[in-house]
Formats: sequence, structure tokens, C-alpha cells
Amino acid sequence: MGKYELLKKKIDEFKLITLPAIIVVFILFILMLGFYFYNAWPAIEKYGLGLFIQNIWQAAEEPAKEIYGLAAPIWGSIYTATIAVLIALPLAICYAIFVNDYAPKQLKYPLIIISDIMAGLPTIIYGIWGAFILVPLLRDHLMKFLYEHFAFIPLFSYPPISGYSFLSAGILLGIMVVPFASAIIREAYAMIPSVYKEGLVALGATRYETTKVLIKYVKPAIISGFILAFGRALGETVAVSLVIGNSFNLTYKLFAPGYTISSLIANQFGNSVLYKYMTSVLYSAGLVLFIVGLIVNIIGLYYLKRWREHVSH
Amino acid sequence: MLATDKNVKYTTHKRVRMIKDNIFLFLVGSLTLITIIPLFHIIISIVVKGLPIIIKNGTTFVFGTLSEGGIGPAIAGTLMLTFLATLIGLPLAFLAGAYSYEYPNSFIGRTTKMLLQIMLEFPTILVGTFIMGILVIPMGSFSALAGAIALALILTPYVSVYTEEAMAEIPRIYKEGGYALGCTRAQVIFKVITKMAKKGILTGILIGMAKVSGETAPLLFTAGGLYEVYPTNPLQPVGAIPLLIYTLVQSPSIEDHQIAWGAALVMLIIFLALFIPIRYALKDEIKL
Repeated sequence: MGKYELLKKKIDEFKLITLPAIIVVFILFILMLGFYFYNAWPAIEKYGLGLFIQNIWQAAEEPAKEIYGLAAPIWGSIYTATIAVLIALPLAICYAIFVNDYAPKQLKYPLIIISDIMAGLPTIIYGIWGAFILVPLLRDHLMKFLYEHFAFIPLFSYPPISGYSFLSAGILLGIMVVPFASAIIREAYAMIPSVYKEGLVALGATRYETTKVLIKYVKPAIISGFILAFGRALGETVAVSLVIGNSFNLTYKLFAPGYTISSLIANQFGNSVLYKYMTSVLYSAGLVLFIVGLIVNIIGLYYLKRWREHVSH
Repeated sequence: MLATDKNVKYTTHKRVRMIKDNIFLFLVGSLTLITIIPLFHIIISIVVKGLPIIIKNGTTFVFGTLSEGGIGPAIAGTLMLTFLATLIGLPLAFLAGAYSYEYPNSFIGRTTKMLLQIMLEFPTILVGTFIMGILVIPMGSFSALAGAIALALILTPYVSVYTEEAMAEIPRIYKEGGYALGCTRAQVIFKVITKMAKKGILTGILIGMAKVSGETAPLLFTAGGLYEVYPTNPLQPVGAIPLLIYTLVQSPSIEDHQIAWGAALVMLIIFLALFIPIRYALKDEIKL
């Protein structure tokens, strides 16, 4: 064996080819985190913690008069994502159960495809439908009814004038994340060893009782499915910004228009260069979204991975 | 006496269980129906609202510029962006996927896989503002290139994860056979495993392309928009169908809304025509 060949054996060709790609992925990630920190810093330095806990938006020509606080969009992001998950929760679980256990054979495969189409459908399609069809529908049939009859409940006490509100955004997001959450639950549900089901049936359990027991088995997968769905709802931009109404409102009232971090960036970033600090403030908002999204996704993925390992052993 | 009492108790108990069972079945079935209704509502609404404008403007709608009542440049822009994004993202994605397949237990391999999965769930608007900061501002103008790079960052994790999963499904024995014949690691993976996993990898590429062709948020601050002339230069601003819809929906004019519905119909048709065959070709689970 010649010296050259020995050298060739030592330096793995495969590693040599793939390493640049790995380095690029790592660098991109670090660069992005660093980029957001670097650009967010001027605003964090100027406004301190108030940037994240105050609700104020005062753009001014003079930098000294500019005051910003991101409390409303941060609240809006969390609030709408929570509404979305609450709506998606029962739907996704029932859908997963139905597809796995009760759907007739001819229906099962089309149902899976329908949900995959819904998961992959461009978000702008949800956006245009939400803005022109869903919002008027909700306003005329749901919000007006609740406002007229149940306005004494503070949740419903905001007059639904335009219909663009936290509730509309939450419902639209819910529709969008159901297929995503149900795909995870469905996959987990199908992984349950069939002996458990057979055992339950042999004991004389009805279908309801069987499912009730089996659902407990996939509980960790359900939780991680919803954590990941929450993360997805947090980051969604265009569909939300078309239905949420885009105004700085720090309220729990469902029919009030609001802002989310991503819709704030989508709306304000274009003209932020006119002001000294606004760009940096928006990068701070992006940083919040970055970090919250990162934490939520890591928890969700970790949970899911642990559950999969637990099942396969 | 006692025996019949027990019997009655038993039958009522059984009946209660049966009723519970039926209520449960009904509930599960109807909630499933509610889950899928929005899709049909969306499709019907878009066809009803979008078809009249397309029929009215005819071929102008598909080929004409915005002032003529068409979305031709936007369609060309979407094709250009998707093509460029695939060109940029594909090599990166394939190599990263191959690496995380080959070294699933090493620190770098595991971290790469985790980073890719996080990128898959990442808020896409942040990719757009990131590219704007590092590319658009230094270059001084929006460009197709910036938009394509933003989309490539979204395409990469899809293709990587698919590549990795498709490769992992190939039985070990082929790999061992390759090594036994004296192939190097690179030969085994790029010539044997890649060829065997090509269907899965191709699916990943197509799904990634379908996904990025419908993305709006990453293009908001990178592509710029161009609707009166066809795009020719990748260093110039470019339009895209989703971006155009987003702009038109926010406009107060009814004519703009009509164009938006028509554009949504075109996009829906492109998406379904691309997505359903891929989905049918693949019998098992896919990740979106």
C-alpha cells in the first residue's frame, strides 16, 4: 500500500465532502442568533426591561421622543397561540382516534390525505379565506350573538365592530395547526402495540373504554404534539396579520383587535428604517420570538423523542 | 328476587355503557368532520370567488401584467424563486442529511439533526428579516437572490430530514455489502445508499419545493415585488404569487381583491396538482 493510499484512508472522503455543509448549517444558526442579539441590543440598552413589559408605541422623528414597549404583541402571540391550541386539542385527538380505529377502510386513506393537504396548504390561502370569509362569518354569527347575550362576561364585552380580533386569529390558527398536531398524535396512536388493544377487547371493554385506556398510553405524544403546535402558531405570520386587526391592545377580551410579534414585524418592518430605534425594537421582538420558539420546540421535540425511544424499546 | 335484581342492575349498567359508547362514536365522528370542513370551505370559496375573474380576463390573467389585470410576472417570479432556492438549498440539505444519517450517535451528527428539526419549526418571518439584514441592506436593494436564499433556508431542513429518513430505511446489509466489496464510505453512501433511497429523497425535494413556493413571510422583506414586467435578473427585485396576494388583500379596492382571489385559485391549483400526486405516490407518513 502506497503512502498516498494510506493518507487517503486516513482522511475520510465522506467527511471531507459533507463537512462544509455541516459547517454551513452550524454557522448559519449561530450567525442568526448572534445577528438578532446584535441588532436588538441598541433597543434593549435604551429601554431596558420596559421594552418587554410596557405597552406603548410612539414613533417620532427625534430619537429622544421614541418610546416603544412590546408587551401587547408578546401577549397577543401567546394569547392567540393558546386559543389555537385549545381549539385544536379536541379536534386533533378525535381526528386521530377516528382515522386509526373507526374510519372505514375506503375513508381512512382519503382522510389522511385531506389532513396532509391542510398541513401543507400555503398559509396565504388560509389568510385570504380568513380575512374575507371567516372573519365576517364569525362576526355576524358568533361574536354578535355572544356580545348581545353574554356581554356581562368580561371575555365577550368588547363590541365586535370589524371582527378582526384575537378570537378570529386564534380560530384561524387553530384550523391551521389541527392537521399538524393530529399527524403527530395519529402516528403515536398507531404505534401502540396491538396486544394492549386485543387485551382490552378480550376483557369485554366497549370501544369507548378501549380508547379511554389507549389514549393514556399516548399522552406524552399528545402533549408534545400540542407543544409543537403551539410553537407553530406562535411563528405564523401572514394569515394572522390579515385577521388580527393590527392594533396595540393589551387585553384578554376576545373580540378586541390586537397584534402578534410576527404580525408586528410584518407590518412595521417596512417603514421602520425611517426611525432610529424602531428597527432595533423590531429585532428585539424577533429575538423574543426566536428564543421562545426555540425553547418551545426543543421541549416538544425532546418529549417526542423520549416517547418514541420508550415505545420502541 | 335477588337474582333478578342483580340482572336488572346488570342490564341497566350494560345499557349505560352502550349509550356512552354510541355518544362517544358520534362525538369522535362529528369532530372529525368539523376538522376537515374548513378545507372544503376554503376550496369552494376560492373557486367561487376566483373563477369569475379568471374567466373574465382569460389568458391575460395568467400571462398579463398587473395593470392589464394579470399575474404573469408573479407566476414567473414564483417559478424563478423556487428554482433558485432549490439550486441553493439542495446540495447543502443533501450533504447535511447524509451526514446525520451516517453519524447518528456522534455529537455533531446529533446536533445537526436537532438544528435541522428546529429549523423545520422555525418562524419563517425571522428568516426574512435575517436575510434582509445581512444581504438586502448591504446590497442596497431587494433581489430575487435574497428571496431565494431565504427560501433555501426553509427548504433545507425538509430535504435533509427526508434524506436522512429515506437513507435510514435502507437495510444495513447493503451497506455492509458495499464495504465488503472494498468501497470507501463515500462510495457506499453516495453510490449505493443514495441510489436506493432516491425515491424518498425526491419526495423530500418535491415537498420542500411545494412548501417554499407557497411561502409569504420570508419574501416580505427580501424579494421586493415586481408585477409590471417579467423578472429577468436575479439581482433585481422579483414578485411572487403569495406575496402579491398578501399585498392585494390589504388594499382597499374591490378590483384588487378580485385579482387576489384569482391568484389564490391559480396557487391552489398549482399546489394541489403538485401535492396530491406526490402524496399518493407515497403510501406512508409524511412530515410537513
